[in-house]
Amino acid sequence: MNATTTTTTTATTASTREHAVTTAVPARPAVRPGAASPAALVALEVRKSLSTRSGKALAGVSVLLAPAAGVIASAASEEPLGSVTGPIGTMAMLTALVLMSLGVLSTAGEWTHRTVQTTFLLSPRRGRVLAAKAVAVALLGAAFAALSTALTAGVIALMEDGVSWDGAGRAVATAIASGAAFAVTGAGVGAALTNTPAALTGLYLVILGVLPVVRTFKPEVGSRLDPAEAVLALAQGDAIGRSVLILAGWTVVALVAGAVVTRRRAVA
Amino acid sequence: MITVSGLTKQYGDRTVVDDVSFTLEPGTVTGFLGPNGAGKSTTMRMMTGLVPATSGTALVDGRPYAELPNPGAVVGTLLDASAVHPGRTGRAHLRLMAAAAGVPASRADEVLALVGLADAARRRIGGYSLGMRQRLGIAGALLTDPPVLVFDEPANGLDPEGIRWMRDLLRGHAARGGTVLLSSHLLGEVEHTVDRLLVIGQGRIVADGSVASLLGAEGTTVRAAEPAALAAALQAAGFTVQRGDDGALVVPGADPAAVGAVAAAGGHALVDLRPVSRDLEDLFFSLTA
Repeated sequence: MNATTTTTTTATTASTREHAVTTAVPARPAVRPGAASPAALVALEVRKSLSTRSGKALAGVSVLLAPAAGVIASAASEEPLGSVTGPIGTMAMLTALVLMSLGVLSTAGEWTHRTVQTTFLLSPRRGRVLAAKAVAVALLGAAFAALSTALTAGVIALMEDGVSWDGAGRAVATAIASGAAFAVTGAGVGAALTNTPAALTGLYLVILGVLPVVRTFKPEVGSRLDPAEAVLALAQGDAIGRSVLILAGWTVVALVAGAVVTRRRAVA
Repeated sequence: MITVSGLTKQYGDRTVVDDVSFTLEPGTVTGFLGPNGAGKSTTMRMMTGLVPATSGTALVDGRPYAELPNPGAVVGTLLDASAVHPGRTGRAHLRLMAAAAGVPASRADEVLALVGLADAARRRIGGYSLGMRQRLGIAGALLTDPPVLVFDEPANGLDPEGIRWMRDLLRGHAARGGTVLLSSHLLGEVEHTVDRLLVIGQGRIVADGSVASLLGAEGTTVRAAEPAALAAALQAAGFTVQRGDDGALVVPGADPAAVGAVAAAGGHALVDLRPVSRDLEDLFFSLTA
């Protein structure tokens, strides 16, 4: 396979032949002998998520939607705000719902565009790929949620007087953690359904449609399942244990379902 | 080396690949030939771990594809040229692949130039023609310059010039000691590219051999005003003569000029003299009918 080992009978033709061959066929590139490291796989998944227009758009929206909504709400409202934890929690929920799509695209998007073929050809250990995707969208989700929350806090600081910043640290931590949790949940559900429209419609229908309806009939059931409500509660320091459990439950169940399907599904 | 043994895929009651076995040797181009739906793609997907096999094994250098430390360094695969994100540029697509396969990002530009897509590198793949996507897929398979190439219908969408280019590429790869498996449902596409043919029909290998052995030796068909006299003269000159349809004589392994010389020497009047080669198409239908 080495292009430069061509043997010829005379020295003069050898040099011309070698030159011709190496021009036409470059020497073999340096190839990593083993599998990609976990860090390299995570970095690759981060790049993939941000290399498409939809990924870039979602990243932008996730960062800017909450502060933009904050500006509008603040300008429209005459009421004094009281505590920042409520608004930061609401904006964290909004941002997390956007970041869920980023997670869905990282897994289901690969099946929908069939790029999963290339991904698994180059990294056949599918469990490692899904783990890398989960870590990648968790990092992206946390980072974008942190940026978004910082901007939202800035908006509140600039536009509102006399608000209480008590508990703001916990609210910010909730925003960052829920950004990561929702993104990973999206990745897990996307991997389980292997279809972008199905995963997006299913998730938003359940979280924004089914659970609010359930809550009107059976509030105690709704509040034990609803991840959006858990974000609001956690940001304000209510029902901390239960809220953490709800968010962790969604994340783990989605990831396990995604892992089961990812491991078995044929790439046809 | 690739060793496939007893590879079988069943979907419910339907057997799409049935006990397929073959070995691919370095330095050869093997044509994997069969009609659409014969099981070519499924076999290739089982070989590369994308589709789990119902039974049987496919080993690359002695291990299943998925257990190779870095499979992209060993096997360059082109299965479905449309399996790309249309929103990425050709260059972005290959740079991501380069990172996954563990080659420098600069390889992306090298292979783009190699397949003639340097000018389209910064355009979104969504705007590529089918032939350009096929070239992009080939570029991806060549990123690591792997010893083994597995191409499923690579000629799809390529123009005649592109098919010739691909033929030279694959022949050159085999000449450097590489192993190539190339599938096609069109016989003409592979006939001049491959050393060996694996013919698959309804999931089973129906023929496996060199192109020459499967197509039979070439020869000459000749018609004379007096066939019996010419046949005797040819046999006297040491040729084997077979009676063909309606009085034609078939002389396997003979050059038309040699047959013509015998006829001229004996003063035989000829009606028709031409080379015969058993058509790949005929072979195919006789095997898969």
